Order: sequence, then structure tokens, then C-alpha cells
Amino acid sequence: MKLSPAERSYLHDSLALQPPIRPDARSPAQFRPLEASISFLPSSNGSARIRLSDGSECIVSVKSKVVLTANVSSLILVDVDVSGYRDDSNFVSNLNYHLQSILNSHFPTAVLRLTSRYSFKIFVDCVVLLHTSYPLGLLSLTTYLALKTTSLPKLVSEVNDEEVEEQPTFSDDWDQSTPLIPTNSTFQPPLLFVVAVVGDNVFIDPSREEQEVSENGMIIGYETQGVISPFNNISLSDREVKGMKLLHVIKAHLLVKKCGEEVLKALNSVAKDEGGNAIF
Amino acid sequence: MVAQVERKRLTAGLTVTQKVFVRSRNGGATKIVREHYLRDDIPCLSKLCNLCPSIMKPDAKGEFQKFTLSDTPLKLANGGHHYLVLDTNIVLHAIDLVENVHGFFDVLVPQTVLEEVRNRSVPIYTRLRALCKSDDKRFVVFHNEFSEDTYVAREANESINDRNDRAIRRTCSWFQKHLNDNSPQLSVNIIFLCNDNDNRAKAITEGIDARTLAEYVEALPNADELRDLVPTDSSELQRVNEIAYPEYYSTARLMGGIKNGTLYQGIVNISSYNFLEGAVNVPSFKKPLLLLGRERLNRAFNGDSVVVELLPKSQWREPSSQIIEESAVEANDTPEDEEELKISDQERRLLAQDAMVSHKTQPTDEVASRIQPTAKVVGIIRRSWRFYVGQIAPTSVSENSGSAPSNCFVILMDKCLPKIRIRTRKAPELLGKRIVVAIDSWPSTSKFPEGHFVRSLGDVESAEAETEALLLEHDVEYRPFSKNVLDCLPSEGHDWKVPTDLDGDEFIKKRKDLRAKLVCSIDPPNCQDIDDALHAQLLPNGNYEVGVHIADVTHFVKAGTALDAEGASRGTSVYLVDKRIDMLPMLLGTDLCSLNPYVERFAFSVIWELDSDANIVKVDFMKSIIKSREAFSYEKAQLRIDDESNQDDLTKGMRILLQLSRKLKQKRLDAGALNLASPEVKVHMDSETSDPAEVEIKKQLATNSLVEEFMLLANISVARKNFDAFPQTAMLRRHANPPATNFENLNDMLRVRKGMAVSLESSKALADSLDRCEDPADPYFNTLLRIMATRCMMAAEYFSSGSYGYPEFRHYGLAVDIYTHFTSPIRRYCDVVAHRQLAAAIGYEPLDLSHRDKGKMETVCKNINRRHRNAQFAGRASIEYYVGQVMKNNESTQLGYAIRVFSNGIVVLVPKFGIEGLIKLESLGDINSARFDEENYSLTFTDHTGAERTIAVFDQVEVDIKSVLDEVTSKRKAELFLK
Repeated sequence: MKLSPAERSYLHDSLALQPPIRPDARSPAQFRPLEASISFLPSSNGSARIRLSDGSECIVSVKSKVVLTANVSSLILVDVDVSGYRDDSNFVSNLNYHLQSILNSHFPTAVLRLTSRYSFKIFVDCVVLLHTSYPLGLLSLTTYLALKTTSLPKLVSEVNDEEVEEQPTFSDDWDQSTPLIPTNSTFQPPLLFVVAVVGDNVFIDPSREEQEVSENGMIIGYETQGVISPFNNISLSDREVKGMKLLHVIKAHLLVKKCGEEVLKALNSVAKDEGGNAIF
Repeated sequence: MVAQVERKRLTAGLTVTQKVFVRSRNGGATKIVREHYLRDDIPCLSKLCNLCPSIMKPDAKGEFQKFTLSDTPLKLANGGHHYLVLDTNIVLHAIDLVENVHGFFDVLVPQTVLEEVRNRSVPIYTRLRALCKSDDKRFVVFHNEFSEDTYVAREANESINDRNDRAIRRTCSWFQKHLNDNSPQLSVNIIFLCNDNDNRAKAITEGIDARTLAEYVEALPNADELRDLVPTDSSELQRVNEIAYPEYYSTARLMGGIKNGTLYQGIVNISSYNFLEGAVNVPSFKKPLLLLGRERLNRAFNGDSVVVELLPKSQWREPSSQIIEESAVEANDTPEDEEELKISDQERRLLAQDAMVSHKTQPTDEVASRIQPTAKVVGIIRRSWRFYVGQIAPTSVSENSGSAPSNCFVILMDKCLPKIRIRTRKAPELLGKRIVVAIDSWPSTSKFPEGHFVRSLGDVESAEAETEALLLEHDVEYRPFSKNVLDCLPSEGHDWKVPTDLDGDEFIKKRKDLRAKLVCSIDPPNCQDIDDALHAQLLPNGNYEVGVHIADVTHFVKAGTALDAEGASRGTSVYLVDKRIDMLPMLLGTDLCSLNPYVERFAFSVIWELDSDANIVKVDFMKSIIKSREAFSYEKAQLRIDDESNQDDLTKGMRILLQLSRKLKQKRLDAGALNLASPEVKVHMDSETSDPAEVEIKKQLATNSLVEEFMLLANISVARKNFDAFPQTAMLRRHANPPATNFENLNDMLRVRKGMAVSLESSKALADSLDRCEDPADPYFNTLLRIMATRCMMAAEYFSSGSYGYPEFRHYGLAVDIYTHFTSPIRRYCDVVAHRQLAAAIGYEPLDLSHRDKGKMETVCKNINRRHRNAQFAGRASIEYYVGQVMKNNESTQLGYAIRVFSNGIVVLVPKFGIEGLIKLESLGDINSARFDEENYSLTFTDHTGAERTIAVFDQVEVDIKSVLDEVTSKRKAELFLK
């Protein structure tokens, strides 16, 4: 969708106002309405789906495999697939990189350790079926939910196989599987937020039109404790890119801190509420 | 999150639910989700039921299931009319009892039980399936897992075993209610047989009539017949710990260890001279790993697939040079001997003696080279347990036991196996009988495996009992062919004829009419199953046309039929002295397929054009119709060829064959084919009484080798053609090069005793060096050496071509690059497969999928290799038995050769009768004065006359042959005594 110069100017000006006016009347810290469901892929260890009102849709499935810890470089592997884009395109590999690196640096892989030799390796497969705006935020939310609902088979053999190697064996009862993230755990999967900059204002979850007129964009990580790295700069539109001010950074930080908490709460209640699992 | 899986009704009679579980295989863990469909129209199959006949639906063929459960089931004094429901543990432990024809009728097998049995033991599963198929025992399978009424979902934190137990109990109570509601004419109780205390208790609280096997058998009117067959229940017998075998490692640890190379998996091979010494061949080591002593063997049986762990190097030893038989170690054991220590002192002493030998000798290079790594068994992957034949040890039967069940030992015929403790009331009656026993378990606290009596074969030494015993011992299927196998035979029976209309169907059109060829067959006298026939004629161009015609068995045995499956599982016909156990039913073997003279038969022909030097110019394969002109015995054929006055075309053809076969043989020998020897003998039976009368060594006539050469040629040609057509799955036969280590010992003995050596670079070198090893003083020495060399060879084996690389296809003994078996399809299954593959290769008919599947071919090969080996052993055992019988009347003094020398005995071979026997030091002379010279393979001792004697390997000795009944195993054998 191309905006006409008049549309562009109108949109830009209204977003740059103090206080800004977003085209869909959201507040700067407000997300677009979304619909989330979990555990709908029966043979995955965990899965989630989020749909936005504009039809954007993302599916994430988490599967696990037992590996020798020494043989693998990373215990989490993210794979992103965006319909309409080649897998080796810059667009897809960037999304992939962002998700992979925040999980690498902020997901405690110790929970994946089975024994002194063996670990679970988890495969996070994301599909973006349709998107209008930059889909990283959507992907991150869905990944969060999928990881929250992931369970891993329960190990029944010895945990200590330092001296004598044992082949891990697992309980055949799926009901006995343990959640990847225990309910009482202190850590949560990290999230990524996309923030657009227009004038002196910052907006969370920019829509496509907002991206078009944005002068700058940021990718900001968030975890239970607060804002975390990365704190990246990204251009969300091909035009009108301007320099970043310190003010933007501070505002974006505050914005993410503010809505991160609420988003977590909302997502956690989704993960808790739905029993999911029914395939019929 | 608890999986709240509910059922969803799809249509009127169909509901779907889902099962979620974790599959943990090879260390992995995968979540598996399965949809599971439930129906409401699964019939109970009771003739009493008024409802089920109306609700059931026909199967895909439009047929209805048969209602089998009787309308007047057996009535018990304390249970009324009843149907039985079996629990898994009953089937697994008491399948013999369940199969018994005197009890256990109207039995309901829940599908859950069937599946659990299949997961635990495939052989028992097949027996249970067979029971359910046959009508006389009235067994039915009820598919409770697919019935809406009896399906149970797994509950939270419920183990799968508990869930299955619950499913079985649910089936019982549903059945009881179903029968109460729908069969008002007769009230029938469901009796649930279960030996698991917990499950039984739960069943009783749920109102099910649950009983142990023993309780039920006691309630039967014919309890006396069946009581002894009830297997020992290990939970009932709380024994004092006689011994503490090390516990096996957990599966997780075994798998991990095998994977990382600290544990090794292999098949246990117990030494036939020392029952406390086993060896495991592991690919990682050149030499087999030794398992020395009871503790290290840790309850492993001969043939079990086990996991072993190496012992520290300080415990590595030489293989024992002693002969230890169980009878010697434990002759005075009694089965209730509870104070027995961990290991008997006698065992310790024997082991210590062994240990001393290896410590005393300085570790010179030679000793070091003989040291073998030792190991201990830490886990058992698969038991080789089957039925065993043996007899009760008389010393273990207490006199005053009366009718109370008492423990006694059964000594097995196989000396490599320990004795088995059984509990029986009938011990005194069973003394002196050959009996069949089954093993139930071998707990770690019990010194001996626990088993139970299955049936009696008859008196020891009666021909029937001994023959059946050896068939059982070698796992030969000798029961008559079942009905569904016989149903596959042509309906015309013996009246089947080759069709007269040769344009009848597309297959007969593809056959070539070879009835004009002058074909004849040459076989041993009185041969009934004639597999092969030959013809030869001079061609106008001076070359020869030679045809080999093989019985076209695959015309009758189509792939995928019950007949084919039976043939594949039998694998081979078994030839005993007085009996033949056929692979295929008689109708085919001796009539329809057999290339009998004067009748037209279907054949599979290989026709060559050979030049006068017997080089192949051209080869053709075809399905054909032939008419054999004559069936000769080897001798008759020889006479006919030798008689110059015979100038007819048939005889001329035979002369051509003979002449070409000589050239073929020479070529083969030039290429390095081995001429090996085995002490084969033949037992002549007195035709009137069928008592064995005399023993003779098999003779070789030129006509024997005539047939043999052309069969080899046909096999090689077919192997090439099949490998061409099916490079991945061609059925072939290979004979691996013998590893040099096998010959180490023989070569060392040759060097020390005779100053000779055999070389091993190639089969040609071996053949030549064997020819060179002549002892002018002893013309038999060369044959003796060939016999001993044969034993160092690898066994030839069947394989599918995808399993090995082309260079490994080589047949060492025949010195050809590729080989198969094609020429005896009546008596070998390999040939059947080769026929089908060749038929497909020449475009006669498409090849069945199972012969194009690598995995399936490997299974077939594994089975026929095993069957082939067993058949050979059974044949030899049969000869051994009859030789023993013949010797009863023919005790004599013969010339023998020492072929092995131990520190406490020597092994002597008597060529005249093909007998090999052990002479123990005790019977040689004074035990204490004996000196065993290991370096020189000699034993010096003072004999009974007081003179000092030395016997070394290869020495000629005079021995007395006597027929002796072994007191422990009750086996009559020709026994040798040094003169």
C-alpha cells in the first residue's frame, strides 16, 4: 500500500502531535487487538497462534529432541518462515536472527539439561501466514506463548551419568511431562517489542501506515525484570529516515517498560487459562 | 495441564478419541498422538448371546465373524458354567498349560492381553494366535480397545500397566453384565485368571470372580493331569538365598554403554568342553571375550544375546585347558540344599587351578598371545529360552515325597546348559523318561533356573523319544502341515497333470517345450524328491548343449501364501537317519514337483552352450516342460556309462556330461577350490526291523561329482543373473575367508608335532599346502588334517546382496566370486527365492514385493541360516545316536587319532565310524602323575599297567569302542577307551 503525499503528510503530522493521534485511535502504549490460542498442534511439545484484527497471523510450534550436549552448539534453534519471502532473504534471516539471539542470550538453557551428557534441544518453528506490519513483535509474542506451553517428556533414568554412561529413558505417559518453564519459575521467555518513532513521539506495535511515515524504529528486548538488550535501531520505512535523539531512546525505554509488564500479564493469563489440547 | 480428551461421536456407531504418549526409543523422546476409533458393534462371540448376532456388521469381504464360545461351557463345582478371561501373565508363563487339550476351553483373550503378549514375546504371541485360530479350543479375541463399552482412557499418573490391567478388568465386568443381560437361557460366569496379586485383589473388589491359575486348575475335574504343568510362581516360592548373582544393569545403562563402547553386545557361546566357560564374539575385538565361571556368566544361557563388560587386564586369561562337566562339579547336589555357599568350593578349586596355570607360566610372548580378555555379563537383551529336553536327575528325587510336590533337577541333553529346577508330584514316575521342560525364570538369588514340566516324550533310548528329542533340541518344526497350508496345494492332488493345451494362459505360453530332450536324473538310491535332472547333446558346431532342469516348485508355491510362509519358516528339509522332515508337503516334494521319470513335469531350466574345454559360450534360463527318460542312482548311472555296449543317445549324453564335469572340476581346483573332508558316515538300517545294522563311510563315485559340478555351474550362473537383475536383494550364498586366528592353534600344533604348516594367503594357497602335508607313515594323516582344517573354516551363509559389498560375496571353499543355491527348491527355501528372482529376471512373472525388500530379505536369510545350521546339527545328532545303537552289538578295537589334548583328558577321532570322543584322565591312568605339556600339546601319564605313556596331538592310538549309557544325561553314545 502506497500512501499519497497528502495522506502521508496528514498521518505524519497527527502522529507527531503532542499528544499524538494514532489513525486507529490507540494510545502510544496500546497494542492492536489480537486473538491468541495455545496448544492446538497435538503432536508438538508446545504451540501457539496469534491473529491480529487485520488478518495477520503467526503460528509457532516447539518440538524437542534428545541430543548429546557436547555435540551441539546451541540448544535452541529458531526457524522462521514468512509466506511470500524466500527463506534466505534478508527480511527472513533478520527476523530469525533477532529471535535466535535474544533466546540465546536470555533463555536459561540449564532447564534443558537432562543429565551430565544429554540435553533436550528445542526447535522453535515459526510461520507467519500473513502480515501487514513488520512481524517481529507478533512473532515474539507467539513464541513466548508457545514456549510457555511447552512440556518435555519426563526423564526416568539416572540423572548422573558422569561416570557411567546411560541412555536416557523417558516415561511413556505424556501427562507426566514437565513444563519447560515451571509455573513457579522466576524466569520467563524474553520478548521483543517494535517501537516506531514519529517526530518526538514513540509508538508500540506500529501498524503498517504508521511504519510508512515513521522516521525511525527500534527493537527492544524485555524480560520480567525489565528492559534488556537488544536495543536496536531499525528502519521501518524506506523514506524519511532521520537521526535518533536521546529523547527517543529514553521515551522508548519507558514505553516498553510500561507495556511490557501488562503484555506479560495478559500473555500469562492466556497460557494459564486455556486447557487447549482438544484436537476435534 | 491434564489432557482432557473426550470422546467425540462421529456417526451412529463410531466414536473417536485420542491417545497421547511418549515414544522413547534409542534415547530419544517423541510425543506421539494417535486418533483412536471406537465402535459399538463388536460382538461378544458367545453362542449364548441373543443380542450380538443382530448388531454385528460384516467385514470387508462381506463375511460375518463366527461365534465360537460354547453355549454349554464347562461347569465347575464352585463356579458354575464359565468362560475364562486370561491375564497377560498367565499367557506368558503358562502357555503350555493354556494349550493343553485337557483343559482351558471357551477362553476370551482381550486385545489388550494379545498386544501385551506380542510386546513381550513374539513366539508366545504366535502360539496364542494359533490357538485363537483353531476351533477346537474355542478361543476368541475380543477387541476391547475398540469397543465403546470397554475402552478405558489412561488416568492421570497411571502407569500403562495399571491402565491395561484396568482395561482387562473392565472387559471382564462388561462381559459378565453383557451375558447376564442377553443370555437368559443359561447363566454363565466369567472367571478371570490372574497371577498378579494386586490386580486380582482389585478384580475381586470390583466383583469379578478372579482366581490364580493354581486355584482354577485345582477346581477342574481333571486337576491331577494338569497340576504339574502349572508353572512355578516365583513370588510364591520364598527361597533362602542360595547364591547372589550380580543384578543386571538397567536398560538405560546398557544402551548407553553399548553406544559409547564400554559395554559390548554379543551372543553367548558356551564351550562344549567346559560348561563354566563361555565366549562372546564382539566385533570390536579380534579374539572372543571369555566368560569364566558362574558369576561372570551371570545366568546367561548358551545362545542368549547378552551385554558384557570387560574385566581388568589383570584378570585376563587363557581359555581353560580343562574339561569341566556340570555332572562332575555338582553330582551330589540336592535341590533343597539351602546351605550351599555362594560358589561351591569345587568350582573355586577348578577355577583356581586354571588361574595358577596362567600365573605360573612366565609371560613369554607365546603365552601372552594366548591370553584372552575376559568379561562378565551385565545384562541380557534376549533370552534364547525354548523347550528343552532332558531327564530328571535320579539323585535329586527324594524317596519319601509321596504326592506332595517336590523339587527336582532336570538335566538337559545339551551339556552347555545348567540343570533346571522343577516342581512336580510325578518325579518318581518320570524317572528314566525323556521329558520336555520350559524355563520360567532365573531369579538372581537362585543358583539354577526355575522351570516346569511340559510333557513326557517316552522312555529314554526308545527311538521315537530320542528322535523327537533331537528335533526339539534343534528347534526343528516337525508337526504335520496345518490345514491352511495344505489348502494351498492344487485341488487335483496326485492327479495333477501338465496341461495339454500349451496355449492355455499367458504363463504356459512362456514355457519352453523341452519334452524332446533326453533328460535323466541321477540321485542317491531310493531318492523320492528329485530336484534336478540333466541332459547333454553335441551341437552341429562341435560345442555341447548342456541343460540342468530343476523342479519348478514356485509354480506351486506362490509368494505370500500360507504354504510359502510355512516353507520360509521351516527353511530346509531335515534328513535324519530314519526320517525326513519335509520343508514342503509330501504331495509337492515327492510327486508334483519331483522330476520323476516317464512323466511330464514343469521345470526351471538352465541351458548352456559349452565348448569342448567346458567354457561357457552362452547361457539361457527358461521355465520349461520336461519329461525325464530315466531316474538313475549314482551306481546305476556309473554302470551304464561304463558299459561300452550302450550306445544310445541318452548314454552318450551322460558320457558328455561326465567328460565335461571332469574338466569343470579340474578348473575349479585350479582356481583354488578346497577339497575338505568331514568324517561323514552312513547308517544302514535293517529294512525289516528298521534297527540300525552297520555304519559305513560315504563313498564318492564319479557320477556324484558329475551331478555336483553341473549343479555348481547352474548355481553360479543363476547367482550372476539374479545379482544383475536385483543388485540390492538377490539371494546369494557366501563363504567368508577364515580369519587367520582360527588357524593359529592348528598351525602351531602342526609346527610342533609335524614340522609342517598350512598357508592362508588364499584358498589356492591353502589347498596347495594341504596337499603338501603328507605323512608317509600315515596315509590317513592328510584326511585328518583336512577334517581339522574344515573346523577352522567359517560357516557359509545366505545373505541378500545388499548386505555386503561385491568383494565379500566370494565363496572361499568353492573359489568363485558369486554363488547361490538354486538347484534344490524342494528342500531348501533359498532356492525357492532364487527361483522367483530368476523368473522375474527373465520376465516370466513379476517378483513379489517381499523379495525386493532389503529388510524382509535379511529376515529371511537370518532364519534360513539358522534353520540350515540346526538341520545339520540334527542330522549329526541323529547319526550319533544311531552309531551309539550300532555299537551296542559291534564293540571293537579301532584306530583313532588324538585331535585335542587337555590337561585332564584327550579327544580322539575314530575315522572308521566318524566317532569323536573324549577320554578323561581318570580312565587313562593315574591322575596325580599326569603332566600336561602345553607347549608340545602332549599329556604324559602313568597308565593302569604302571607304564608311562605320552600322547600328543595327531598321535595314532588304539581305542576300544563301547556303547555306554551316560548316567547323567541318559544319552547312549559310543564311548572310547584307550587300549
